[in-house]
Amino acid sequence: MIWGSVVMAAFAALWPLQRAIDRQQRSLPQAEGLLYFRSGRALRRWGLGYDGLLADIYWTRAVQYFGRKRLAHARRYPLLGALLRITTALDPHLLIAYRFGSIFLAEKPPGGAGEPQAALQLIRRGIVANPSYWRLWEDLGFIYYWDLKDYPMAARAFQTGSRQPGAYVWMKAMAAAVAAQGGEINTSRLLWTQIYQTAGTQDVRASAVAHLAALDAEQQISELDKLVERYRREKGRPPASLEDLVFSGYLRAIPKDPSGAAYTLARDGRVTLGPSSKVDLSLLP
Amino acid sequence: MISRIITIALHTCKESVREKVLYNLIGFALLLMAAAVLFGSISLGVDQIILINLGLSAISVFGLLIAIFIGIGLVSKEIERRTIYNILSKPVARPEFIIGKYCGLVLTLTINAAVMTAGFYVALFYLQRRLVGPDWIGLQCVYFILLQLAIVIGVALLFSCVTTPILSATFTFCVYVIGNFLSDIRWFGQESGNTSLLKLTSVIYYLLPNFSDFQTISQTAHGVAAPPYLVTANTLYALLYITILICASVLIFEAKEFR
Repeated sequence: MIWGSVVMAAFAALWPLQRAIDRQQRSLPQAEGLLYFRSGRALRRWGLGYDGLLADIYWTRAVQYFGRKRLAHARRYPLLGALLRITTALDPHLLIAYRFGSIFLAEKPPGGAGEPQAALQLIRRGIVANPSYWRLWEDLGFIYYWDLKDYPMAARAFQTGSRQPGAYVWMKAMAAAVAAQGGEINTSRLLWTQIYQTAGTQDVRASAVAHLAALDAEQQISELDKLVERYRREKGRPPASLEDLVFSGYLRAIPKDPSGAAYTLARDGRVTLGPSSKVDLSLLP
Repeated sequence: MISRIITIALHTCKESVREKVLYNLIGFALLLMAAAVLFGSISLGVDQIILINLGLSAISVFGLLIAIFIGIGLVSKEIERRTIYNILSKPVARPEFIIGKYCGLVLTLTINAAVMTAGFYVALFYLQRRLVGPDWIGLQCVYFILLQLAIVIGVALLFSCVTTPILSATFTFCVYVIGNFLSDIRWFGQESGNTSLLKLTSVIYYLLPNFSDFQTISQTAHGVAAPPYLVTANTLYALLYITILICASVLIFEAKEFR
């Protein structure tokens, strides 16, 4: 009876104690995680043959680290590169780690680490370990195109990828389009449309939709800016709002962006996204 | 002779099955496989790979623990309990006793591995809602794990004949760890440029059991089967090594005097 009461009392005391500790911990500045092992090769040796399982653990850690940082709108991801290096050293055939890892690394902060060169290194290591997997060439071309705007290199990557076994035919078309019209909005749209159509996961598809929406919005804003400029030239004064363009017959109605929100005219006379817009123009390079 | 070996083997298997630690380990391994389904959901795009890696690693790790902790008591327990006198006073030759004990534990581990493999495939079926051709490569991996465990049991049995259970467990575990580093040890000898060290590391390389060739879990997770030559080579290697270990155990056990 006494022992039972002590157990109950101790448990009752544990609850507020844990809550107090949690409160204290939350108020402290969040420390960066620690990596006890920095060498994937060494870890592979010490893994006693369970390197595949260790790679899964490190990949999950990389995903969780990236997710936490992204949710906190972090501008720096100091451990991400090391976590991906260890993951791919433990399991050089874990293709998803190269593909998603390069996206995590290349994307601009706060969406990613903003380290396109590190992403290139990761993809190149992936190509060396998996030379016949054409998708890594697609990812390489994409980073050159989207993040580094190195169109000749992007075209070369798409071209080389198109020669790998099983590569989709559009890789050749992409190589030609990038070589001829690198940086053109239509080329970017073609690239993201292909990514959307061939995406293996919902996350990639959602990312492609967001990028396509941003591209559309940018093009529409550019067209609207031209109309505003025409109005200013013909009327001798800038429009006070986009309604003025509608009343004067330049537009049939106030246009809406891909998320369904109306565009607005900013004080500096430029067309911008409305406050309720869900389009993220920061996704564009 | 064969019938006596079978009797001892069956008796050893029944005795091992009564060990509570066995059920704890199998239960924990099955729990781990079930957890793998949840573990995959906090990762990205690797649900199936995680389940295969975790499931087969669980079969290997828990099999190893069972092999070591039951294997080390195979002979020493009989001596400690003095049941060895009863057995050897009957028309049972010492080699029959050793071979029977060994086969009994291999049988126990095979049954355990079968239970854990069934649990693994249930978890895989739950995840994928079907089982396709490449999924059965897992059976080849389980076969390699069993061959490896059969060698570990032999090592544990050998140490069980010469020393105490605690030291046997320590030595067996050390042999297992070194057996996974043999390629590195030989590479170290080659890189050192020292002829004596090269000879020493080469001797260690060929003398100790090389477990790295049996590790195909990571390959299996990517749906890659081991080439047929490796299946044959690993089977032959395990058979030869087990023969060496059993013969050495018999030699030591024959020389032992029980008073």
